[in-house]
Amino acid sequence: MIHVRHLTKCFDDLRRGRIMALRAISFRAEAGRIFGLLGSNGAGKTTALRILSTLLQPTGGTASVGGYDVLTQPHHVRRQIGFMSANTAVYDRMTGWEMVEYFGRLHGIPPKRLRQRMEDLFDRLQMNDTRDVLGAKMSTGMKQKVSVARALVHDPPVLIFDEATAGLDVLAARALLNTIVELRKQGKCIIYSTHFIHEAEKLCDRVAILHRGSILAEGTVSELCRRLGRPDLEEVFFHLITQYNHTQKEHSGAQPASVLGSERTCAP
Amino acid sequence: MTLRNVRLILTREIRDQLRDRRTLFVIVVLPILLYPLLGFSLFQVAQFLREKSTRIAVIGAEYFSTDFQRQQGDEGRLTDDLVAEPGRAEPEGIASLPALFESNRFAAQWFSNAAETRLLELHFVSEQELSSSTQANPYELAQEMVRSGTYDAVLYFPADFAARLAAFRKTLSERSKANTTAAGKQSRLEVPNPEIIYNAAADKSQIAFARLSGVLRRWSQKIAEENIEVGGLSAQAVRPFVVGASDVAHAERREGAMWAKILPVLLLMWALTGAFYPAIDLCAGEKERGTLETLLSSPAERSEIVLGKLLTIMLFSILTAVLNLASVGLTGWLVLGRMPGFGLPPPAAMTALAISLIPMAALFSALCLALAAFARSSREGQYYLMPLLLITMPLVILPMSPGVELNLGNSLIPVTGVVLLLRSMLEGNYWQAMEFAPVVAAVTLAACMIAIRWAVDQFNSETVLFRESEQVNLGLWLWRLLRERRATPSSAAALFCGVLILVAYFFVSFSLTGESGLARFIRVALIIQVLVIAAPALLLTFLLTGNPRETLLLRLPPRFSLAAASLLAVALHPLVNRMQILVQQLYPLGNDVQPALSELQDTLRQADFLPLVLVIGLTPAICEELAFRGFILSGFRHLGRRWRAIIFSAVLFGLTHGILQQSLMAFFLGLVLGYLAIQTGSLLPPMVFHFFHNTLTLLNSRLMPDMLPDWRPLRWMVGCNEEGGGLFFWPSIILGTLVAVLLLRWFQKLPCQRSPEEVLSEAIERWEHSDEPLESLESASCGQTTIPPLGTDSTA
Repeated sequence: MIHVRHLTKCFDDLRRGRIMALRAISFRAEAGRIFGLLGSNGAGKTTALRILSTLLQPTGGTASVGGYDVLTQPHHVRRQIGFMSANTAVYDRMTGWEMVEYFGRLHGIPPKRLRQRMEDLFDRLQMNDTRDVLGAKMSTGMKQKVSVARALVHDPPVLIFDEATAGLDVLAARALLNTIVELRKQGKCIIYSTHFIHEAEKLCDRVAILHRGSILAEGTVSELCRRLGRPDLEEVFFHLITQYNHTQKEHSGAQPASVLGSERTCAP
Repeated sequence: MTLRNVRLILTREIRDQLRDRRTLFVIVVLPILLYPLLGFSLFQVAQFLREKSTRIAVIGAEYFSTDFQRQQGDEGRLTDDLVAEPGRAEPEGIASLPALFESNRFAAQWFSNAAETRLLELHFVSEQELSSSTQANPYELAQEMVRSGTYDAVLYFPADFAARLAAFRKTLSERSKANTTAAGKQSRLEVPNPEIIYNAAADKSQIAFARLSGVLRRWSQKIAEENIEVGGLSAQAVRPFVVGASDVAHAERREGAMWAKILPVLLLMWALTGAFYPAIDLCAGEKERGTLETLLSSPAERSEIVLGKLLTIMLFSILTAVLNLASVGLTGWLVLGRMPGFGLPPPAAMTALAISLIPMAALFSALCLALAAFARSSREGQYYLMPLLLITMPLVILPMSPGVELNLGNSLIPVTGVVLLLRSMLEGNYWQAMEFAPVVAAVTLAACMIAIRWAVDQFNSETVLFRESEQVNLGLWLWRLLRERRATPSSAAALFCGVLILVAYFFVSFSLTGESGLARFIRVALIIQVLVIAAPALLLTFLLTGNPRETLLLRLPPRFSLAAASLLAVALHPLVNRMQILVQQLYPLGNDVQPALSELQDTLRQADFLPLVLVIGLTPAICEELAFRGFILSGFRHLGRRWRAIIFSAVLFGLTHGILQQSLMAFFLGLVLGYLAIQTGSLLPPMVFHFFHNTLTLLNSRLMPDMLPDWRPLRWMVGCNEEGGGLFFWPSIILGTLVAVLLLRWFQKLPCQRSPEEVLSEAIERWEHSDEPLESLESASCGQTTIPPLGTDSTA
């Protein structure tokens, strides 16, 4: 469902010059599976997911969602996806119902069917208390539910979660994860990025470990552990990072740059 | 783009804004309260001006008037009435002077309106009294009285004043009785001047000064008239005639004149500030609150989002302006209407005001939207929008100065043109307004479209939407701009170059004055071509681009294209000639321009051919092509559409020819030249075309009736004007156009290189609306989706 092939993204920063956020990464995510992107801050997870949600354009390589190319067929892609990130907020002066309805209407769902679907959704997610509450007055848990409902209202086959549990307490995070598992059962293709290793381990069918724009390793958790001879994902992760840093040191002969602010030139 | 989505976004944004109490207050409550309050206080001030009397101390009146009695009042206090000192004789002849005072006011005849006598409250103080109370100089004491505010002003008559006046009168009368002819001439009057002591820093004192001056002026005039008669001449000697005045303005126009000055300015400022805050909230506020990302990943397209937000901002801008206008109108009608000199503006003009509000609101809204998109927070948004206010204010206020009037040049300036147009409508000059209305409308529309396009670009720019770093640093931006040059200029650089050339052209054409004649013409032409047109383009090329050769299209063209270009110029010549005549008929040259142009044509006709070819043919062919088809066209190719690039560069090219008639022709030729440049990928064919075209036009103008050979077939094709200048008839026009079309098709078949943006937009256009997933097509063509990596997008 999601095919990413040699995806590259360069940024121009006034101070730091050209930054390569993604270096020709490739992966595939299938329907009915949760694909995890695991990496520390600055690894490029958000960039990759933003490209998949057509918020950014790739500099090179291709990405396609549900068969539609993100660069040339963005609005087809947008109909296929539901996007939720830690930054997604709710509108302060809209009620929960109004907000979900707004996005449902933007997706072109006819009003009657929309109402039915929303009733169903609000019941399933147990969020009827958010119906008439203005966004500014909602608790964090309520806001999160509204965001999830908004992402699900048009029943997209692909769901993209970008560090969705950041800022949530234990209970809310668990509730969200349960919802995601539910969605997998419904056959959705889910891509989930996080920097919490235990989350990735528990939730994801396949995991790609992303570091400084490159995928260091990819596979199911057990595959990765077996391949690298480590007991769990956390050990795998740190092993790969250390290995990466060593390789960098050998090649450049300089100190490994800090995670943020490494300067590389983009290939023209 | 669907209207439905736009409407969805629009209704949501409006509902959101209306739920914000702060917005409602600023837009609705404030105007309703503010203007009545202002109007009321203005009313009060005017009342004050009319009704309130001012206190004047008169010192020294005792010397020329004995009408006063200083009495002891009932309480035993001295009243303000004055009596001449006992024993002091009245100066001689004083009674012959017209009486300044009447009881203890100024005499009624010295006021334009008798009722105003009571406005000057006089307190008489004798000089003796003044100097006796303290040992100080009475004059300084008088000044202190004003400064301290005890009196609003002091009228100080020096001791000798009245006596001298009387003496002069006496001399005059004696001499005229003695019948000396030079009676008036030889008498010299030296009178110490009375003085009004006042305080310019105090309003009341100024009013008192104005009133006193009026009174004394009239008194002095009367004395003068009497003096003349006494001296033996008639009063008419000083006033041989009185200038009459007849005002043709309707009463409403006179009153409308005041509104004409204020209303357009106010309206535009309201529209701008009304767009300001909603724009910040809708863009920066959304970014701040984190809801922009969700909106951008929804099916709503960027253009739909921008349009929805734009319409919201426009609505609030118009609402602000209308509410303020209504409030002012109501205040004017209720409060100010009672005051003289204020009337309501004419209704037709008010409608014009209301109509012009829409494009201006669109322009301001688009600009605010584009600028607000930069900001990451509301505070930062205000930082970016302040410059907009600073730029717009001069444009709005400048037309208010009397020298600036509605003419072709001024109507081309975006905001100023609208203000001038509204002003002339409010003054009642409807026909003048109608004449320039299309120009102003076109300019405003163009400005709107550019602003909206810029706003859409901002929403398409990743660096703007997802900017993580701090505020834009101008120095850093400039340094980067110069250091990291792309091969070809950006479209913004191209626009900048075009505007720079236009501005330089205007300045230079104003400052170049001097004698007319061939030498001057050549000098002016060369200066404009080389310094104004070519120099900026070349400078910017070397400064901003990494590959001048590619920017200026300095390549060898395909085979035969040079010959084809020259043939094209010849083939199109009859058509161009006919179009020129048509343009002249549609837009005849103004009366001021026509003689100058004919004179120029005569001069050119008599000049030597070769220098003219170099100046008119060769130099523009090189300089204008380097600028417009070189730098500017290369920049505009980054817009992603070939024809857009051609049209924009042709527009700029046309604008650089000062006269409208030439501009139109230049625009059409610019289209052909741009097309040639793009299809051949080289600057040489357009240069060749341009050279041949200009030379042919030059030859054409020198054609005289006797030069044409007497050959039948030729007569069918070409004719000649009496005063010189060739004419082409329909057979030649049709033939030429056919050949031109064939040549253009040949050019069309040439393989032309596309810019990366053009490739991308063609790919998007091809696949965007096909419902077939690209993947299957991609694999069918062996994975060859040749979408080259883009350079990172340019910031606006």
